[in-house]
Amino acid sequence: MIGTAHDIMSQVTPPHALFVDHPVGRTFGPPHDRARNQAVLARALEELPKFTRSGEIRDPGLQWLSDGSRIWEDELRAEMRQDH
Amino acid sequence: MPFQYLPVMAQNSAPKPPRVLVSPTKPAWCPIKKPLSESRVALLSSAALRLAHQEPFIPREDFNYRRVPSDPSAGELIIDHHSGIGRVPKQDPEIVFPRTALANLHKRGDVGSLAPFHFSFMGGLRDHGKIENELAPAIANDLKQAQVDLALLVPY
Repeated sequence: MIGTAHDIMSQVTPPHALFVDHPVGRTFGPPHDRARNQAVLARALEELPKFTRSGEIRDPGLQWLSDGSRIWEDELRAEMRQDH
Repeated sequence: MPFQYLPVMAQNSAPKPPRVLVSPTKPAWCPIKKPLSESRVALLSSAALRLAHQEPFIPREDFNYRRVPSDPSAGELIIDHHSGIGRVPKQDPEIVFPRTALANLHKRGDVGSLAPFHFSFMGGLRDHGKIENELAPAIANDLKQAQVDLALLVPY
């Protein structure tokens, strides 16, 4: 599994969980950025041979913003509110 | 610290009770046996994805799945999932279903081969027993038929 919701993945214990620290719905990057889609997928797949047990969540260090800031979280909360 | 989705989901769904998360009754684990460069890979998506000419999914409790050709030139992808989060990925489904990226990794030799089809179904289904006893085994059977070594699930 390659997912963005660390808290959910930690509860449902998939056999191999790769965490991408992006907003939900943008697992492989922003729309129409094929280079980034490929870079995220390739980086995540590099982690596969490192799994040793079920329920382990591996974090390859992929961040949404290059400076590591988390300003996107407020936008995501607003977006999720509109979902309801 | 990673973004915490469960509290936001619970807050947004109030006064309805929070969603119940259920782990499989038979947890699956197997070590990765082959290098990626020798593995046949398929994508699994819970975005209710399909090609334009395929039958639409019916929100919210559609327990069918679609076989989506792994060849990116096979046609435009449509997301039928009802989540409002879909406003962004509906502009470009490849950001939740990296069909082109995976095909490119195959072309450059990182991935051994592609299954002829990837698979998509409706995420957020409430009947967990039906998922575990009907939907998942049906997809697993297709994966076996296609001799897939590695199935990559991307939750929506």
